[in-house]
Amino acid sequence: MSPPPAPSLLDGTVSGDGAIALPPLTPEDAARSRDRFRVHKARRHGRRWTLLWLLIGPGILAMLGENDGPSMISYATTGATYGIGFFLPFILVTFVMAVVCQEMAMRVGAVTHRGFGQLVLERFGPLWGWFSAGDLIFTNLVTLIAEFVAIRIGLSFFHIGSGVAALLGVVLVVFTLSGGRYWRWERIVLGMAVFNGLFLVAAIMTRPHLGTVGHALVTASPFPGGSFNTLLLLVASTIGATVTPWMIFFQQSASADKGLTPGDVRHGRYDTMVGAVLAALFGCGALIAGAALFGHGGASIQGLSGAGFPAALKLVSGNAVGTLFALGLIEAGAVAILTISASTGYAVGECIGVAHSFNNSTRRAAVFYGANIGAALIAAVIILIPGAPLLSIALNANVLATVLLPVALVFLIMLANDRELMGKWANGAATNRIAGVIVVFISICGAAYAVDSFLQAVHIV
Amino acid sequence: MTAAEHQELVEFLERDQLVGDTSQPVGRMALSRPTSAALWALRVFVIVVSAMVIYTFVSQLVH
Repeated sequence: MSPPPAPSLLDGTVSGDGAIALPPLTPEDAARSRDRFRVHKARRHGRRWTLLWLLIGPGILAMLGENDGPSMISYATTGATYGIGFFLPFILVTFVMAVVCQEMAMRVGAVTHRGFGQLVLERFGPLWGWFSAGDLIFTNLVTLIAEFVAIRIGLSFFHIGSGVAALLGVVLVVFTLSGGRYWRWERIVLGMAVFNGLFLVAAIMTRPHLGTVGHALVTASPFPGGSFNTLLLLVASTIGATVTPWMIFFQQSASADKGLTPGDVRHGRYDTMVGAVLAALFGCGALIAGAALFGHGGASIQGLSGAGFPAALKLVSGNAVGTLFALGLIEAGAVAILTISASTGYAVGECIGVAHSFNNSTRRAAVFYGANIGAALIAAVIILIPGAPLLSIALNANVLATVLLPVALVFLIMLANDRELMGKWANGAATNRIAGVIVVFISICGAAYAVDSFLQAVHIV
Repeated sequence: MTAAEHQELVEFLERDQLVGDTSQPVGRMALSRPTSAALWALRVFVIVVSAMVIYTFVSQLVH
């Protein structure tokens, strides 16, 4: 009779009597543990700034990732259409909404160590889980197309064709995925996201009248006039430029993947707020830069089927502003391609129930990495279609995100209130009230644009 | 990996953070009938509104 196989260390540590004393460790656990070791060390030695540096990431990436190509084009369009006025403080309000939503996502991820897709699937059943993942994959594909569009617009300013834009996006995704470490991926994308600040520099270089900016921030005026449908479109797309389903999926899953624990929630909140402040500043920068075109007519934004902002800004404010805006669009599109592809990979991996972490090798998490690259590839192919209406795609991608957001938000609120999962980390009454108002507000804005534009499309009004 | 290395790696993770634990499904939440109805109403609302947005987008493309 052959002896039973000896327990492996990977299956659990063997104590003297042969019993398993420690839980089994996967390579994913081992990679995460190494990151957590540095967090423990910084905490033990009271190194506050090191601790903050180690724990930031998912919040800033979600916020700056959402300052993506279509969002910056939306902000610039509102600036070019209405000048500096109502939309400037409105952007700030939308970022307050984003902080409330993203804080919940971070908290649920840190407390449960599970992604959003996985929790919806397990807690509410496969039907709701797949509905959520389906919404996400659909909006992500549309948004990813818009990100490639943004890169294409930026590159076209330098006379570089759409083929390079498509290739650049896909190569970036493949490059950042290689390495098998969440930490490496996060730091590369964070490094790229810093360049979102180019929009603020571009805005400063347009020399906006500070009195006008201050007046708009304080009074939320002048209120936009003109076409009611255009106003609704820009309101809906501005909301969709700030709070979206992919951000919820991404921040919850990334917080879990990074290894955040309930003890890190305070730093997770700092991360989310720093991200929101930076993103709001840079978003306002895009609006102010776009406002330089206000009064110069929409005719100046005709390049590339209506999204030639860099070229228009070059004509009105000089070559440097046009160049900065073009580089900003390339950055915004590139960072968003990485974060949105990641959220797609997380959602697919979590719903199928296979490995879904950057801390795995490509062999161990083939579905996760495949979904990441696959989503980017499909979008890259679509932008190669000549004559595509780029501005319309960019704005409608945001509107679609706004329309589909309430479902994801309701599930997020339900999870954040689930005391069985969250314990003392569950939502308080004040957070619930604010979150409820956000859901109603977003639903009304999305529906108002949808109904009004639909009635116009079928010639009823 | 030695036992000591294993012990050290486990030490820096919370027990419910290990892949072995997170891959165990959490139990299903019991949804009341009104909650289920509200979720379905929201789902139908979102599908109808999305269809309107997509229709408008496509009709703008065609014209």
